[in-house]
Amino acid sequence: MTLSLIIFLPLLGALLPPLFIRLGRTACAWSAALLAGTALAILLYHSPAVFAGETLVFTQPWLPALGLNFSLRLDGLGLLFALLILGIGLLIILYARYYLSEHDPMGRFYGMLLLFMAAMLGIVLSENLLLLLVFWELTSLSSFLLIGYWKHRSDARQGARMALAITGGGGLAMLAGILLLGHITGSYELSVVLASAELIQAHALYPVTLALILLGAFTKSAQFPFHFWLPHAMAAPTPVSAYLHSATMVKAGVFLLARLFPALSGTELWFFLVAGTGTATLLLGAYHALFKHDLKGLLAYSTVSHLGLITLLFGIGTPLAAVAGVFHIINHATFKASLFMAAGIIDHETGTRDMRRLGGLWRFMPHTATLAMVAAASMAGVPLFNGFLSKEMFFAETLHAGWMGEWSWLLPLLATLAALFSVAYSVRFIHDVFFGTGPRDITRKPHEPPRYMKVPVEVLVALCLLVGILPAWTVAPLLAAAAASTVGAELPYYSLAIWHGFNLPLLMSLIALAGGVILYLLRFRLFALHDRIFPLCDAKAWFECGLARTIAVSHQLTAWLENGSLQRYAMLLVASVLIVIGTSLWGTTLTGPVAMGTVDGVTLTGALVLGVSALATVIWHRRRLAALVLLSVVGLVVSVAFVRFSAPDLALTQLSVEMVTILLLMLALYFLPQHSPAESSTARRWRDGLLAAGAGLSVAALAWGVLTRPLETISGYFLEQSKPGGGGSNVVNVILVDFRGFDTLGEITVLAIAAFGIYALLQGLRLPSPTTDGEGRPWAEDRHPLILSAVSRPLLPLALMVSLYILLRGHNLPGGGFIAGLVTAVALILQYVASGVVWTRERLPFDYIKLTASGVLVATLTGVASWWFAHPFLTSTFEYVQLPLLGKFELASAMVFDVGVYLTVVGSTLLILANLGKLTLVSQPHEETK
Amino acid sequence: MELLVAIMIGLLTACGIYLLLRARTFPVIMGLTLLSYAVNLFLFVMGRIGESQPAVIGVGDGQYTDPLPQALVLTAIVIGFAMTAFVVTLALRARGELHSDHVDGDADPRGPGA
Amino acid sequence: MLALAIPIAFALMSLALLLNLWRVVRGPDLPDRILALDTLYINSIALLVLFGIHLDTMIYFEVALLIAMMGFVGTVAVAKYLLRGDIIE
Repeated sequence: MTLSLIIFLPLLGALLPPLFIRLGRTACAWSAALLAGTALAILLYHSPAVFAGETLVFTQPWLPALGLNFSLRLDGLGLLFALLILGIGLLIILYARYYLSEHDPMGRFYGMLLLFMAAMLGIVLSENLLLLLVFWELTSLSSFLLIGYWKHRSDARQGARMALAITGGGGLAMLAGILLLGHITGSYELSVVLASAELIQAHALYPVTLALILLGAFTKSAQFPFHFWLPHAMAAPTPVSAYLHSATMVKAGVFLLARLFPALSGTELWFFLVAGTGTATLLLGAYHALFKHDLKGLLAYSTVSHLGLITLLFGIGTPLAAVAGVFHIINHATFKASLFMAAGIIDHETGTRDMRRLGGLWRFMPHTATLAMVAAASMAGVPLFNGFLSKEMFFAETLHAGWMGEWSWLLPLLATLAALFSVAYSVRFIHDVFFGTGPRDITRKPHEPPRYMKVPVEVLVALCLLVGILPAWTVAPLLAAAAASTVGAELPYYSLAIWHGFNLPLLMSLIALAGGVILYLLRFRLFALHDRIFPLCDAKAWFECGLARTIAVSHQLTAWLENGSLQRYAMLLVASVLIVIGTSLWGTTLTGPVAMGTVDGVTLTGALVLGVSALATVIWHRRRLAALVLLSVVGLVVSVAFVRFSAPDLALTQLSVEMVTILLLMLALYFLPQHSPAESSTARRWRDGLLAAGAGLSVAALAWGVLTRPLETISGYFLEQSKPGGGGSNVVNVILVDFRGFDTLGEITVLAIAAFGIYALLQGLRLPSPTTDGEGRPWAEDRHPLILSAVSRPLLPLALMVSLYILLRGHNLPGGGFIAGLVTAVALILQYVASGVVWTRERLPFDYIKLTASGVLVATLTGVASWWFAHPFLTSTFEYVQLPLLGKFELASAMVFDVGVYLTVVGSTLLILANLGKLTLVSQPHEETK
Repeated sequence: MELLVAIMIGLLTACGIYLLLRARTFPVIMGLTLLSYAVNLFLFVMGRIGESQPAVIGVGDGQYTDPLPQALVLTAIVIGFAMTAFVVTLALRARGELHSDHVDGDADPRGPGA
Repeated sequence: MLALAIPIAFALMSLALLLNLWRVVRGPDLPDRILALDTLYINSIALLVLFGIHLDTMIYFEVALLIAMMGFVGTVAVAKYLLRGDIIE
């Protein structure tokens, strides 16, 4: 349990510094340090068990169905990395307190730093690979934020984006690789995966899995050819560079190599992929580092080179090489972080990092210079410093690499060459900054930094020396624990002594030291040569160019798909649905086992009427009113079809809705052209016709497929419970107002919202009214024909009575709130048609908006009322009451709900139609005032 | 009978889709209406078609049609009306703002009423 | 008697439906179509009542009632549209 605290403390702590910044900058730094320190204390509390060889595992199921568990593991490798992350993290917190200027938002910095710390701890402590991936992406994100910390600088923004694009892309590849790994082994837990090496390496998917996982590791650890993001990430503040881009985050990639070493390594493919990439990166990084004039640029390429070295060591694949790799991870973290901090101090005190302007700083800051020299000597691999030890081991391992055959001399040669460059740039770092002439063009007089800014550098440099001189007394137990859990087996014998006698690795070291110094002395000639050969190799420009091209292509694709034409969208939509349905129906047996029923003559006639009128609607769609008449024939036949197939409720609803729809369409048609222009080309009509025919065919096929298969329904319950449970015999209505009452409540709310939306859309709309009809004839003079008004008015009470009847009996016989509401609305609309808006509004003074709202309110309150009786929302009840004259009749609370439905339907329908009808009033005010 | 129903639903769908692909708002709305007839019928017949009684307890011999698709389609019809009304209003608004009844909102070169 | 009358009536109603359809489709004028639509409504009422007699149930009669009412409103509205264009003034 306390294991998870190691991650959660910094994660929660990410919120604290932005709050503590109000108490001052020191309090802010303390809040960050306190949390990291507590996490470190917990880690140290667990460390004795790990040194004793135990692996602590903590498991908390998260999404077990997906294989994702919140499971953590603390073994030697995890302990080593967690110590680096928390230890160097604490030093960075102290350093950043003095590095950041007054203008920099410090709370935000520490918050993001702790977030990164938590993510990084998550990676190294994860037992579950999917969990590891979650933290992996989190480090990419927090690194993006930290690189872009100075968001006003364009190089910071570009560098951040580049880092995110590359490490994020690698993360995606890694996700695929991990999913494959889980597929092969059947588990995402490391303990299972690490024990399945034979299974994995024998599997046909092993090469793909390996390549994908390596892509993730190589992008993160800035391996060739993805190395170029790291130098551009140097736009970040120096504490970030020291922490993320030398000590921790870029090590996540090599950490992954170490973590999966037992499961994936030991094959020829592994050797050539990993060792090959490592060698290329080692050489390329070392070469470029020498030619960088920027201090941090030099360190960045040097980091790339050292990461290549570690990768190469893991690629060699022997247990001893893995030990050397783990050892170099420790050493590199200590000397590189201190060098970055030293570079930051120089930048801080002189205002520049350009080595062509720096020089002679020994006189101004001897203390810092000494510290930097120790760290640089370690980087160069000078004896008595820790870098020397791991570099010796590295040389020894290159001599024993397998799979190279008669080319086995190549690896040691390349290793020595890279080491030679490494010595040269280390000498340059020291000599160009602290000795020689200069500094030039420096505005202020350099001096030593604040006392506490040097403390982190001192701690790290002391470690370099201690490890370098007394390895067996300092680093040996940690290295043994970490290496043991990396290799996953018994460790072979190795010695951490400084002196192994005169042997080949020592000779290689001496060649590198001497050659490096000579190379440095020849540097000006080399610079000129380099400038002539490499002016074109700008990986950043390539990246930006590639990015711009990708964006342009996606713009084109978007513009093609989304050209603003609704017709195009509708076409694409129908076509893609056709493809999906077509491919899934293709080759399946369509006809099911159920026998067909017989067709009678009347039904056939009805179908004929339906088909002909539907086709005629399409054929004459450009003569709009005629098409509308034909459409109402279709609607009528559909309603009759509902009766034919025993659905009287549906027939009633369809009829009423059909009528209000026709009224609505006529209201709209008045303001629209009476004819559609013939503008579709023949080709377009053929295309649409084919699409429509295809859609019709697939829907018919689907319907046919379902109808000829036996029915499995869940309606038995509703049929049984309708009377005893819902108190009504019309099951359709009981389902609507009782069983599924909550759905219905939602639907009437949607109806009300649609009506309000229409009301709002019509506000302030002015449309020109046509003065003649479609054939150019003037309108008739008589506004409200007498016969029409005379016939319509008596119809109103009759219609209202019908609707009341339909509403009340709806629970037991076909009817209900929806239908009754529509009937009432139609009856009232008839008065609008016959006698006009003004006449009707005088006699119908209530507000339709309030009516609609009250309907929804009544329905909701019916539901809420059941809370009074301690029942769930919308529980219904019913009672039989005995009334004089009328006799026994039933009252159900669901009926009140139905009244709510009724009111909503009446209100919404009238709101829609009456407001559309009023459009002419606002459009022709001069006519209406008489 | 099943074949006839399937063909009719397919025909209504085809007619609806064809009108849906037209360039002017009014035919598109008519297409939507036709399509919603087709969809409602389709959903309704998922409860199968037969010679059974309406799902009203106490009527007939106890062999009832499936009431659940009917209840679903009933609300679908009403919601379909609300949707049609909304699209109609949108079409009118577009006509008012853009002086065109083209679905892409292009200014109509022939002028209103063309 | 009824067993003989109902099939004959169904046949006649179907014929009437087809004739209505002919007028709706052929036109030639809008008023022709509107009249045909109105007749179609009336025919549907008759058909439904016949259907009810055939099945010996009253459950469909409300549908017939509603067709009568809706058919009237629909015809009125289309007629008003032909006369004035604006059906709600």
